[in-house]
Amino acid sequence: MAAPPGEYFSVGSQVSCRTCQEQRLQGEVVAFDYQSKMLALKCPSSSGKPNHADILLINLQYVSEVEIINDRTETPPPLASLNVSKLASKARTEKEEKLSQAYAISAGVSLEGQQLFQTIHKTIKDCKWQEKNIVVMEEVVITPPYQVENCKGKEGSALSHVRKIVEKHFRDVESQKILQRSQAQQPQKEAALSS
Amino acid sequence: MRMVHILTSVVGSKCEVQVKNGGIYEGVFKTYSPKCDLVLDAAHEKSTESSSGPKREEIMESILFKCSDFVVVQFKDMDSSYARRVPSETDAFTDSAISAKVNGEHKEKDLEPWDAGELTTNEELEALENDVSNGWDPNDMFRYNEENYGVVSTYDSSLSSYTVPLERDNSEEFLKREARANQLAEEIESSAQYKARVALENDDRSEEEKYTAVQRNSSEREGHGINTRENKYIPPGQRNREVISWGSGRQNSPRMGQPGSGSMPSRSTSHTSDFNPNSGSDQRVVNGGVPWPSPCPSPSSRPPSRYQSGPNSLPPRAATPTRPPSRPPSRPSRPPSHPSAHGSPAPVSTMPKRMSSEGPPRMSPKAQRHPRNHRVSAGRGSISSGLEFVSHNPPSEAATPPVARTSPSGGTWSSVVSGVPRLSPKTHRPRSPRQNSIGNSPSGPVLASPQAGIIPTEAVAMPVPAASPTPASPASNRAVTPSIEAKDSRLQDQRQNSPAGNKDNTKPSETSPNFSKAENKGISPIVSEHRKQIDDLKKFKNDFRLQPSSTSESMDQLLNKNREGEKSRDLIKDKIEPSAKDSFIENSSSNCTSGSSKPNSPSISPSILSNTEHKRGPEVTSQGVQTSSPSCKQEKDDKEEKKDAAEQVRKSTLNPNAKEFNPRSFAQPKPSTTPTSPRPQAQPSPSMVGHQQPTPVYTQPVCFAPNMMYPVPVSPGVQPLYPIPMTPMPVNQAKTYRAGKVPNMPQQRQDQHHQSAMMHPASAAGPPIVATPPAYSTQYVAYSPQQFPNQPLVQHVPHYQSQHPHVYSPVIQGNARMMAPPTHAQPGLVSSSATQYGAHEQTHAMYACPKLPYNKETSPSFYFAISTGSLAQQYAHPNATLHPHTPHPQPSATPTGQQQSQHGGSHPAPSPVQHHQHQAAQALHLASPQQQSAIYHAGLAPTPPSMTPASNTQSPQNSFPTAQQTVFTIHPSHVQPAYTNPPHMAHVPQAHVQSGMVPSHPTAHAPMMLMTTQPPGGPQAALAQSALQPIPVSTTAHFPYMTHPSGEACVCRGRRGTSKHSARTG
Repeated sequence: MAAPPGEYFSVGSQVSCRTCQEQRLQGEVVAFDYQSKMLALKCPSSSGKPNHADILLINLQYVSEVEIINDRTETPPPLASLNVSKLASKARTEKEEKLSQAYAISAGVSLEGQQLFQTIHKTIKDCKWQEKNIVVMEEVVITPPYQVENCKGKEGSALSHVRKIVEKHFRDVESQKILQRSQAQQPQKEAALSS
Repeated sequence: MRMVHILTSVVGSKCEVQVKNGGIYEGVFKTYSPKCDLVLDAAHEKSTESSSGPKREEIMESILFKCSDFVVVQFKDMDSSYARRVPSETDAFTDSAISAKVNGEHKEKDLEPWDAGELTTNEELEALENDVSNGWDPNDMFRYNEENYGVVSTYDSSLSSYTVPLERDNSEEFLKREARANQLAEEIESSAQYKARVALENDDRSEEEKYTAVQRNSSEREGHGINTRENKYIPPGQRNREVISWGSGRQNSPRMGQPGSGSMPSRSTSHTSDFNPNSGSDQRVVNGGVPWPSPCPSPSSRPPSRYQSGPNSLPPRAATPTRPPSRPPSRPSRPPSHPSAHGSPAPVSTMPKRMSSEGPPRMSPKAQRHPRNHRVSAGRGSISSGLEFVSHNPPSEAATPPVARTSPSGGTWSSVVSGVPRLSPKTHRPRSPRQNSIGNSPSGPVLASPQAGIIPTEAVAMPVPAASPTPASPASNRAVTPSIEAKDSRLQDQRQNSPAGNKDNTKPSETSPNFSKAENKGISPIVSEHRKQIDDLKKFKNDFRLQPSSTSESMDQLLNKNREGEKSRDLIKDKIEPSAKDSFIENSSSNCTSGSSKPNSPSISPSILSNTEHKRGPEVTSQGVQTSSPSCKQEKDDKEEKKDAAEQVRKSTLNPNAKEFNPRSFAQPKPSTTPTSPRPQAQPSPSMVGHQQPTPVYTQPVCFAPNMMYPVPVSPGVQPLYPIPMTPMPVNQAKTYRAGKVPNMPQQRQDQHHQSAMMHPASAAGPPIVATPPAYSTQYVAYSPQQFPNQPLVQHVPHYQSQHPHVYSPVIQGNARMMAPPTHAQPGLVSSSATQYGAHEQTHAMYACPKLPYNKETSPSFYFAISTGSLAQQYAHPNATLHPHTPHPQPSATPTGQQQSQHGGSHPAPSPVQHHQHQAAQALHLASPQQQSAIYHAGLAPTPPSMTPASNTQSPQNSFPTAQQTVFTIHPSHVQPAYTNPPHMAHVPQAHVQSGMVPSHPTAHAPMMLMTTQPPGGPQAALAQSALQPIPVSTTAHFPYMTHPSGEACVCRGRRGTSKHSARTG
C-alpha cells in the first residue's frame, strides 16, 4: 500500500471488493473519504461508451474483501474546476425529464411511444406529452401508435423534420432488433456447433 | 477533497442507490453532505422486474439517503469531462477571457514615450489630421504584407468567388432585361417613399426647425382653423410657413392695407388683424394669407390658390383686400388698391405675397378657413358686395333699418350702420353685381366698395345675403332684390364678379377715384370722409382694437343705420327690385355710401342714391360708392373707433388674446358675434384693433358686413348651398365670380356667408350649423374654421355641431377676420374699401338687423337665431349628411372649392380684391359673414351667458348660434363691445363677449344680432328652398344658384330679417 499517509487508497489504484449483497465490484480509485468510509471507483461504462465511465460510490462499511489489485504511485492529475451551474441545470432537466417520462408512462403510453419520445427529445428539446400524444414544438402532434403517418400538424419544415426523426427512429429500432436477434442466434449456433 | 470533486461532478446524473436491504432506488443525484448523505430527486424504487419506467405516482420528489443506509451508489455513463470548466466553454470570447490568455503570458507592455523626433513637424501632424483618406489603401496593405511578410493576397476585386460578372451582350433578351432593370430603378427612385427616405438623408433642417413648433400660437389656431376648415392636412412645416406667412400677411395686410388707405387698416389691418386674431394662426394665415393670397390668387390665381391652399384664409383677406383692389385695379391691385384706390394694387401685392407664398398652399386648407376669413373679408368683401346688395337692398332695409336702429349706437354707428346696411344691401346686390356692391359699397362705402370691388362679386353674393340676412334687409334686398336681385344680384354679382374684378377694378377706376380714395381714404361722397376714415383706418390699423370698439359703436350705429337702412333698404329694395337689383344694390351701396358718408341717416338715403348710382355704374359706382361709403363709414368708424380707442384698446388687449388662438377667435367671433359682421370686424379690431382700428370701423363694418352677409347669406346662401351642393355652389360662384359674375360671387358669398352664417349658427347651434352648413356649413365651416381657424375652425370643421359654438366663435373670429379681411380689402382697394365698406355695410346691415332685433327683442333675436338655427338644423339635416362633409369635408372640399371657386370667381373678376373678397368675401366672406354672424351670434349667444355657452356648446348652438350670431351682430352693432372684441371674443367663448357686449351694447346688440341671425335663418330656409329656384333664375347658372340662393336667402332673410327687423324695429 503505497497510499500516502492518511489515505488508504491511492488514486488510480485498481480495487476490487464485494458488497454485502454479494456483488463483486472492481474499479479504479477516484476518491476515498476516510470520514464516511466512502470509496469512489471508476468503472468502464456499462453501456460500452468509450468516453464514459460508471462511477461507483461504495460504502466500505458494507463491503468485504477489499483488494488492491495494483497500486498506482503516480500523483493523480490535478482536479479540473467544475461548472456547478451546468451541473445544477443538468440536475433540473434530468428531474423534469424523468417526471415527464413518468407522466407519460402513467398515462399508459406504449413503450414504443416512450422510446420515440426519448428519441425525439434527444433532437428536439421542445417536446412534451399531451395525454398520449407527443407534441413537438407546439406544432406537430404524434398520436399513437406513433408511426410516421401519425405525425400531424401544419405542413412545413417542422412536420417534415419530425417525420424524418420518427422514420429514422423506427428504422433504428428495427435494425437494433435485427442485431439483437443475430446476436441471440449466434450463441445458439455456437452452442449447436459446440454440441 | 477528491471525493467532493467526484461527487460534485456527478451531480445531476442518474444514479442507482442500493440500500442495505438490497433495494435499488433510482433518481437524479441532487446533492450530498459532508457526511456523504445523498439526496436523490425524483427517485423511485426500481423494481427488480424490468418494467418500463416508474409511474408518476411512484416517483418521490426527493429522497435523502443516509450514508449508513446505502451500500453502493452507481452512476452510469458518466462523462468526466462533462462538467469540466473549460475556458472556451465559459467566457472564452469575452474581452477578459481573450485578454487573459495573452496578457497572462505577456506582461503588460512597457509603455514607451512617443518621440516625434524629426518627423513630427507641425506640418506632418497637420497632414495627418488633415488626411482625409480612410486609412490605408487596400493595395498598400497588400503590398506591404507581400513585401514584409511574403503574404500574397488572393483578393479578387471582381469577387468572382461570390458573384458572376454580368455578361453584356446586344441580344434582345439582354436589352429587354436591361431596360426592365432601368425601369424598375426609375420606379423605385421616383417613388415617394424612396424620395422621402432620400430626403431624410438630405434634410438640412435642424431638428429644431423640424420639430419645434415655434409659431405654435398662430399655427395652432391656423392649424385648427385650417384643419377644421379644410380638413386637409398641412404639414407642420407648411403650416408654420402658412402661419408665418399668414402672420406676415396679416401684418403685411394690415400694414399694407393700412398704408394703402384707411381702408387698408380697416381691411387688412383690421380684417387681417381681426382675422389673424380671430383665426389665430388660421386666421392669421387667413387674414394675412387669405387676404393677400386671395388678392393675389383671387385675382389671378385666386380660385385655385386660395381654394387649393391655405389661401382660403388668405384669399378671404386678400379677397377682401384684393377684391377691392382687384375690382378697381385688378385682383393684384386690390391690396394695393386698398391703399391706393381700393388697395387693389396693394391688396394684390400684399395678397399676392401672402397668397403666393402661403396663400395657395394654405389656401386650400385654409381656404375654407380663409374662406371664412375671406368670408369675413369676403364677408366684408361679400359684405361689401353683400353690402352692395344689401346696401342696395339692405341699405334700404338692412342698412337703413340698422341705421335707424343704429340710433342706439349713435351717429358713428348709425353712419357705420347706415353704411353697413347700405353696404350690406349693396353688398348683397353688389354680390349680384358688384356694381351694386360698389354702389353698395358706396352706400356702405367701405364695406360695399371693398366688397363690391372684390368681395362684391364674391362677397356680394354672400354679402348681400348676409347683409340682407342680417337686417332682413338682405332679405328685403333679396326679397325685393333677391327675387330680382337674387338673379340680378347674382347676375350682377356675377357681372360684378367678372366685372367685379373688372368692375371692381373698373369701379375702382371709375369709382376708384372715389373708391380708391373712398376705399383707401374715402373717395367720392365720403371721399373726404373716406379719406378721413382711411386715415382713421390707418390709425385704426394700428389701433384696430380701439376701432373695433368704435366699430362696435359704429356697429351699433350701423345697426341703427341698418335699421334705418332696413327701412331705406326696404325702400331701396323696392327701388332695387324695380330698377335692378344691381342698381338697387348699387343704390343701396350708394345709399350706404351716402349713408356712410352721412353715417346713419345718410346711409339710407345714400343707399338709395348708391343704388341709383349702382344702377348707373353698378359695379363701379357701387364699388366706388361702397368704397367711398365704406371709407366714410370707416372713417366714421375710425373716428368712432378712435373715440372708442380706449375701448378698442381694451378690445385690442382682448384681441390679442383673441388673436391668440382662443382670444382671437373668440375675440373675433365674439366681436364679430356682437356685430355678427361687426363682430368679425370687432374681432378684427380686437385682434387687429390697432391695425383695424383705423379700419376698425371698417372692420366693424366689415364685421357688420360679414354679419350682415352672414345673416343674409347664411340663410339664403346656406340654403342655396344646401340645396346646391356646396361644391357646385362654390364652383359656380367661383366661376361666376371668376367670370366676374358679381352675382354669383355675391350669391356664393352670400351663400357662403349664409352657409357660414348658417354654419355658424348651426355650428353654434350645432344642428343649425349642421343643417345650414351642409354645403355652406362645409364651406362656412371651412370658412368659419378658417376664419375661426383657431379653435373653432378646427373644431368647427370637424365638429360643426359640437363645436359649432366654437365654430361660431371661430366663425366669429373668422368673421372678425373676415371682417378684417374685408375691411382690409376695402381699405386697401376700392374693393377693399368696398369690402370694408361692404363689411361695414354688412356689419351695418347686420347691425341694422341686430339692432332691429335688439330694439325689438334681444331675446327674440336669439329666438330668431334659434329659429334660424332650427332652420339651419333642418337644413343642416339635409346638410347634416353634408355637415360632416360640409363642415369638414365640404369645407375642405366644397368649402375650399367653394371658397376657391368663389375666390376664383371673385378672383377672375375682382381678381385681387375679389379674390380676397371673393374668397373670403364671396364664399368665405359670405359664409364667413354668415358664419361670422352665426359665430357672432354664437358669440352673442355667449354674451347672453347661456346663449354664448350654448353656442359654444353647440347644442344650444342652434338657438344660440343664431342668437349668438344675432347677438354677435348686435355686439358688432355694439361694435364697441365687439371692438371690445375681447369681450366679444370672450363672449364667443362664453360670456366674455357678452360681458363686454352685454353690458352696454350686449342686450341691444344681441337683439340686433338675433335679428340678423334670424333673418339669415329665415332667409336660409327660404334660400334653401328658393335658393335653388332663384339660382336657376339667375342669369348665370352658377350665379343663379348662388344668387338665387343668396338672393332668395337674402330675400327670405331680408324678408324675414326685414320682417323681423321691422317687427323688432316696430
